[in-house]
Amino acid sequence: MTDFLQNNGFLLVTMVQQALLAMSLYYPLMCGQLSLASPGFYALGGYVAAIIGTIEYFAPWRDSLGWVIFPLEWLAAGIISGFLAVLVGIPALRLRGIYLALATIAFVEILRVVCLNLEITGGAIGIFGVPQLFESRWSYIWTFGPLLMLMLFFSYRLDRSRVGRAFKAIREDELAADAMGINPTRYKVLAFVIGAVLAGVVGAMSAPFLNTWNARQGTFDASIAYLAYVLIGGSRSMWGPLLGGMMLSALPEILRPLKDSRLIINGFVLVFASIYMPKGIAGAVGNLKNFTTRILGIGRSEK
Amino acid sequence: MALLELKNLSVNYGAIQAVQGLNLEINSGEVVTLIGANGAGKSTTLRAISRLLKVREGSIIFDGREITGLAPDAVVRMGIAQSPEGRQVLARQSVLDNLELGAYVRKDRAGITNDISRMFQLFPRLEERKQQSAGTLSGGEQQMLAIARAMMSRPKLLMLDEPSLGLAPLIIREIFSIIRNLNAEGTTILLVEQNAKLAMQHSHRTYVLEAGQITFTGSSQELLSDDRVLHAYLGG
Ligand SMILES: Nc1ncnc2c1ncn2[C@@H]1O[C@H](COP(=O)(O)OP(=O)(O)OP(=O)(O)O)[C@@H](O)[C@H]1O
Ligand SMILES: [Mg+2]
Repeated sequence: MTDFLQNNGFLLVTMVQQALLAMSLYYPLMCGQLSLASPGFYALGGYVAAIIGTIEYFAPWRDSLGWVIFPLEWLAAGIISGFLAVLVGIPALRLRGIYLALATIAFVEILRVVCLNLEITGGAIGIFGVPQLFESRWSYIWTFGPLLMLMLFFSYRLDRSRVGRAFKAIREDELAADAMGINPTRYKVLAFVIGAVLAGVVGAMSAPFLNTWNARQGTFDASIAYLAYVLIGGSRSMWGPLLGGMMLSALPEILRPLKDSRLIINGFVLVFASIYMPKGIAGAVGNLKNFTTRILGIGRSEK
Repeated sequence: MALLELKNLSVNYGAIQAVQGLNLEINSGEVVTLIGANGAGKSTTLRAISRLLKVREGSIIFDGREITGLAPDAVVRMGIAQSPEGRQVLARQSVLDNLELGAYVRKDRAGITNDISRMFQLFPRLEERKQQSAGTLSGGEQQMLAIARAMMSRPKLLMLDEPSLGLAPLIIREIFSIIRNLNAEGTTILLVEQNAKLAMQHSHRTYVLEAGQITFTGSSQELLSDDRVLHAYLGG
C-alpha cells in the first residue's frame, strides 16, 4: 500500500487537485456563465502562498505560527481571490456566452503578464523553495482530499438551496428569472466569486505541493484544459467536473507506456466522448441509470 | 387614487419607437384589457412596467410611488407580477420549483407553503403534476403554471401577456374563469390579449393601442359595441 502511494501519490493528488479546479468552473456554469478565469485565480492563490511562505517580512510569523501558517495562507488566498473576483466579475458578467469566455481568458493573460513583470512574484523565474507542509507528495491528499469533500458537501447543499434555485433559473432563462424578481447580476457575480475563491485556495495549497511557483501556472492552456474537464465530464451536476477532472488528468499518465501514440489516443478519447456523450460522462452515467431503472427495474426509487 | 398610472410613457428599442406618450390608469380591483394589433407595443408596455426595459420618457407610478427608476426585483417586491408572453415556464424545473421561484422575493416560509396549496386548489391539474418538469406539461397547463407562478409573489397587480395564446377554446374559457376568480378575490389585473372580444367581456375597461399610442379607451361594455373597434379588432 505504501509502495503504491509512493509511486502513484503524485498522480493521485494531482487528480484531486484538477477535479477541484474543474469544479471551480462549475459554479458559474450553474447559472449559465462560461468563465475561464480559474487559472488566473489559481495562479494568484499560489503566489499568495508562495510569497507568505518565502519573503523576509513574514519570517517572524512563520517562526511563531509553525504549520498554522498554511491554513492562514489558504484563507488569505481565498479572500484576495474573492475580492478580485468581485472587481472583475461586475463588469465582465455583463458579457454573455463566448464574449464572457474571451474576457476571462484576457483576464488570465493580463494577470500572467503582470506576474511575469513584478518583483514580488519573482518575474520570469518565479518563486523557488516554497516551504513544504508535508514530507512526501502523497501526504498532500490530506489537504486536497478534505477540500474536495467539503466542496462536494457544499455543492450538494447549494444545489438544493434558495441560491441554487436562483442559479438554475438564471441558467434556464435569465429574462424570466429577472421578471420573477431574481437579480441575475447579483447571483452571477456570487457564482463567479465562489469559483474564484475555490481556485485561489487550490492555488494556495498547490504552491507548497509543487515547491515552486511561476507565471506558467496560470495560462491559456490551463483554461482550455479545465474547459475540457467540464465538457467531457458534464456540467449539469457537480459529479461531471469531478469525473472529468480526475479522468482527464490521469489519462496522459495512464497512457504513458504507449509513448508517442498516447497523444493521439488522448485526442481520440476527447473527440469520442464529446460526440457520444453530449451531456458528459456524468450525463452518460445518469442515462445508464435511467436505462437500467426503466428496462430492468433495478434501483427504482419509490414515488 | 389609481393603483397604477402610466404618464406619457415612451419606450425605445434603439431607434425603434415602440411606445410613444402612453397614458394609462388602473384602479384597485379592476380588470383592464389592453388590445392592439401585432407589434402595437403591448408586451413592451408590460416589460416597461416590470422594469425589464428602460423608459425613455414619462413615468410609472404604482401605489402612489414613482417606480420608473427601480430594479425588476424591487417592483416584484412592491406587488407587480407578470406572466410573460409565450408562458415562459422554466421547462427543466419541476412544477413545484417553478412555484417556489415565483415566491422568490418572499421570505415567509409558512405563507409560501400555504399559497402553494391555494394554487393547487385553483389549478388541480398542477397538483397532479407537481413533481413533473414543467416542459412536459401541455400548453394549457403551462399557461396555468405561468399564472400560478406569478400569483406566488402575492401581487396587487397581476399582468398577463396573451394568456390564451395557442390554446383550445375550452381551455381558454377555463383560464378566463380563473382570471375572473382571481379578480373576485381582490387581485387587480392588466390583461393583454389578441382574443379581444373574450378579453373585453371579462374586463371592466379597455385600452386600444395602435403603433405605440392609445387610440380608444373606455368601458369594455361600450367599446364592445363601438363600430370602429368592432371593425378593427372584433372582426365585426
Ligand atoms: N427586443 C426588441 N428589439 C427591437 N425591437 C423590438 C424588440 N421587441 C419588440 N420590438 C419592436 O417593438 C414593437 C412593439 O413590440 P411588442 O412586442 O411590444 O408588440 P406587441 O403589441 O406585444 O405584439 P404581439 O401582439 O405580436 O405580441 C414592434 O415593432 C417590435 O418589432
Ligand atoms: Mg406581445
